[in-house]
Amino acid sequence: MLLNLFEIVLPVSYFATTGLYAFGFFKNSKNSELYKVRFLIFTLIVHGIYIVFRTIEFNHPPVTTVFEILSLIAFTITITYAFIEIRTKNRTTGGFILIFPFIFQLISSFFIKELLEIPPVLRSYLLGFHVWSALVGYAAITISAVYGFLYLILYRDIKSAHFSVIYKRLPNLEMLERMSFSATVFGFVFLTIAISVGYAWLPRAIEKFSYADPKLISTIAVWLIYAAGLSAKKIIGWQGRKIMVLSMFGFIFTLFSMLLINIFFSSFHKFL
Amino acid sequence: MNIYCVGTNHRTAPVEVREKLWFSSGELSAILDLLKQQNLKETVLVSTCNRTELYYSFKDELLSTDPLWQTLVQKKNAAEHLRAENFYSFSSLNAVKHIFAVASGIDSMVLGDVQILNQMKEAFTVAQENHSTGLLLNRLFNTAFHVGKRARTETEIGEGAVSVSYAAAELASKIFEDMTKRSALLIGAGETGELTAKHLTSRNLKNLVIANRTRMRAEELAQKLDGKVIDFEKIIDELLHVDIVISSVESPSHILNAKDIRSVMKHRGNKPLFIIDIGVPRNIEHSANDIDNVFLHDIDDLNHIIDTNLSRRKAEIPKIQEIILGELIQFKNWHDSLEVTPTIQQLRDQFETIRNDEVKKHLHHFSTDKHEEVEILTKRIVNKILHTPMVNLKNGSAEQSGTETQTRVHIIRHLFGLDKKDHK
Repeated sequence: MLLNLFEIVLPVSYFATTGLYAFGFFKNSKNSELYKVRFLIFTLIVHGIYIVFRTIEFNHPPVTTVFEILSLIAFTITITYAFIEIRTKNRTTGGFILIFPFIFQLISSFFIKELLEIPPVLRSYLLGFHVWSALVGYAAITISAVYGFLYLILYRDIKSAHFSVIYKRLPNLEMLERMSFSATVFGFVFLTIAISVGYAWLPRAIEKFSYADPKLISTIAVWLIYAAGLSAKKIIGWQGRKIMVLSMFGFIFTLFSMLLINIFFSSFHKFL
Repeated sequence: MNIYCVGTNHRTAPVEVREKLWFSSGELSAILDLLKQQNLKETVLVSTCNRTELYYSFKDELLSTDPLWQTLVQKKNAAEHLRAENFYSFSSLNAVKHIFAVASGIDSMVLGDVQILNQMKEAFTVAQENHSTGLLLNRLFNTAFHVGKRARTETEIGEGAVSVSYAAAELASKIFEDMTKRSALLIGAGETGELTAKHLTSRNLKNLVIANRTRMRAEELAQKLDGKVIDFEKIIDELLHVDIVISSVESPSHILNAKDIRSVMKHRGNKPLFIIDIGVPRNIEHSANDIDNVFLHDIDDLNHIIDTNLSRRKAEIPKIQEIILGELIQFKNWHDSLEVTPTIQQLRDQFETIRNDEVKKHLHHFSTDKHEEVEILTKRIVNKILHTPMVNLKNGSAEQSGTETQTRVHIIRHLFGLDKKDHK
């Protein structure tokens, strides 16, 4: 089947792209410079086509199983990274980001299966849009945290005048901060869209809808943390380490709240 | 191999001796003319602050190297400063190996120095314009430049700052994205401070502000570096506007303490501040480095960076030696190919192959009883074509100097593509 072919090509293509970016970073290789962007574009196109084909083939947005969602996350992280690469014109750090989509797509390709019965609500394209924009939001804040982490390594290296292996190849602090910030803004915009669509549409679509839903509350909390961070930067003028620590905090909070909610709470918000 | 080198460098002579034998680029042509009269076929004189080296080949008979370096010494009237032990000489493959080591930067005073390659290129250009180079030195220098380029691209011999001023400028570029939007404050007018400021301004710094206890000296420096002077007492106020501070004043106590900097940081919206303290005793209270977004480095930090970079460069030497060895073998192969006999043989083989192929292709047009005749006829044609050039080439080698014959061989090899065939 055509979709099976995509499921083989995609992890291979992600692996090659991540490898080229990592090789370029650590070996400063000019050849990988030439190919990595082409591979990134190729992977994105193939992944885009895969999602469209899958949606048409099964007649629902690919949000019905964990493995469909993982593939979607892989795609959103990559597209967000591409956006940041274009915006900042820095192509060195892709390896640190693209390793995530590679792992997600690999797991997805191994286990993905079509459900026999799909709850009607999951067939809605508006829900698909809600989920997709939430995923873009989370992908972007993950990227923002990776850049925040790289920033903190470089910050520590420069402060202590003892340099780690990656010191030489990393872009400067200002650039890393800008990359992290771009990702945060991107993520914040998409989280806002996801929340707005959710609020407008979910109460009508789902009978058991509740404003006290833990996933809803935690998403709002995440949104508030990032809103506070963006205000701290734009209004109070926070810069550098503090903002990067805040970005890491936001990410860790998101990660833990999502994990805890998915493990310990039952909710209307859980379809899988 | 008719390639020699005589010279003096930082290992064989101290600076006060070396500087006596330094030739400016304006003086090079005259000394090359003088050397031509000493039975030299080709000459290139490389003279930098750390070395003066003469690369040459003899016209016909071999002579001692002594008169050559004596010519250099006499030209500079430096006989009382330079002794025979200040000079070293290399011949044949050792001379080739030496120039490769020089070009790669592993023979430099500062390991991996990048300037030497440009200086060699300049010296070579002067020699070429002076018609002092020929087949051998052209090939030698071009291969040396290739070795230098390979050393820089394939290894990390030139990576990382190895001077205080450069280390500071490099650190600054790891903090700030665009230097054209950054301003620096230079406190004190010492030499290292000036050099650091120079490195920064060469990266298109937006503004340079200079404060010195003696205002006149600050003004002199400001003129030189295109900066602006402020009163020494106003340095704390200036911290609000600059991103980089270079401090190198002699002062028994701190001129800036952590408390001052902490309060400045609040007023400057916590924007990163990079401080280089190269004064001894230190000019700035070191605990300021604990403040968020303040990056304070003293002379020990910078020296530590330099040491680390130098040991990294040292670790690259084996890779460079491997490059040198490879190129040395290739150079020797090329040189050997300039011998007459193997070239004649190769040329004969090439013609024979062409003849053979063509005969095979067209032999079926002839009846079987004619085949032998065709073979004999074509062989005869080829032999006749080759006869005169081969005889002249062989005889030439008896009558003319070695390099003249080598030039002919080189041309023949080039015209008939013999080296390309070898390469395949």
